[in-house]
Amino acid sequence: MQHAVGVLESGLCRYVLISYGHNALSGDSMRRMLMELSGDDAVFGHFGATGGYALAARRAMHEFGTGPETWKKIAVGQRKWANLNPAAMMFGKPMTEADYDKARWVVEPLRLPDNCLITDGGRAIIVTSLERARDLKQPPAVIMGMGQDHPSTAVAQSDWMAGPTGARKAGETALAMAGIRLDEVDACEIYDCFTYTVEITLQDYGFFKPGEGRDWLQGGTIEPGGSMPVNTSGGQLSEAYFMGLTPIAEGAMQIMGRCGKRQLGPETRTKSPEIIMISDNGGILESHSCILLRRW
Amino acid sequence: MSYDKPLPRINADNQAFWEGCRMHELRFQQCKGCGHVRWPPSDRCPRCHCTETRRLISKGIGRVYTFAVYHVAYHPGFAGDLPYTVAVVALDEGPHLLTNIVGCRPEQVVCDMPVEVAWEDVVDRITLPKFRPLSSAEGLG
Repeated sequence: MQHAVGVLESGLCRYVLISYGHNALSGDSMRRMLMELSGDDAVFGHFGATGGYALAARRAMHEFGTGPETWKKIAVGQRKWANLNPAAMMFGKPMTEADYDKARWVVEPLRLPDNCLITDGGRAIIVTSLERARDLKQPPAVIMGMGQDHPSTAVAQSDWMAGPTGARKAGETALAMAGIRLDEVDACEIYDCFTYTVEITLQDYGFFKPGEGRDWLQGGTIEPGGSMPVNTSGGQLSEAYFMGLTPIAEGAMQIMGRCGKRQLGPETRTKSPEIIMISDNGGILESHSCILLRRW
Repeated sequence: MSYDKPLPRINADNQAFWEGCRMHELRFQQCKGCGHVRWPPSDRCPRCHCTETRRLISKGIGRVYTFAVYHVAYHPGFAGDLPYTVAVVALDEGPHLLTNIVGCRPEQVVCDMPVEVAWEDVVDRITLPKFRPLSSAEGLG
């Protein structure tokens, strides 16, 4: 996204298409990519992303007392959004907290519903100047702030698995560029490869103090009708996994008012969104980007 | 029975480490500039960029920094081991090593638990550094 803004601002391009498409579910390329990422960790039976995030999540349990009681609020809350989204893979498949508790372990402490989906499909966004966007068919979602931070080190060498991750600095940078405070954000679309990623991102953005996520999530905070809706399409956990395009496309669609039954506002008993905070994350908490979108 | 799990891919960078393992020694690079003991191996220090190193042999004692219990075998070689424990061990000398915890059940593992190296000679030329709970005798020593 920052590259897109760069080539637009420099006049090299007028419109930038950012797209993602993958037959990740029916093909084997996602699995192969994750296996190749393992390198010599495979010697010890350590594979893929779930294992890496399980290491991070376990360290967080030790450092600030999080755990499945926190993560299930995220998994169940996002599933409620997915059930308002006919395009979601988990549409028509409601999940209760009891269902979460009964779900099988994949790599403990992560259960199956703590993991994102693997999806066939794709998603795309178009970035252009506000001047051009104003004349287009859809109302624009205006980029008001961006930030990145990339701690980079592999998870086995990392000592920030329990935060602060790159989300801290990326979030602060985006808020500063936008000239707003965190409490002016109306909703979040958080890169949610795993439930723990949502918790640590919201925590590092400053929505709650370390370990207070469980209390913050009580009472349906992130759900339809909640005070801080999060991952309103169902997210990668319950809608579809299109890397960073899942959260950013949903954030833009919500700002544009194109989300049907899951539209933020009176339809879902939530605040009509003026500002949405969106994250992207790479590796095992190794890189982070944050974007703030606002209504024009 | 033949060994059916992945083996380390030995290259110029990690050769000294795996040769050490064969001798039941945990060999690391220690920076001559700043003293930082590093893993994985690299041609310069990630802290001070100095290229000079000396060999440091770890005592093989550390603590479980974090761990994960696998309930799914992503490779058929591990199917018979489920559930098994992958851990990051923080060695007393500094490096964090990805490994397995053996010699206790997964539910007995906790973060910060003291552990010691447990060598596993898996094939002729390869020995894996795994870790087990620190024996009380070692702990007293």
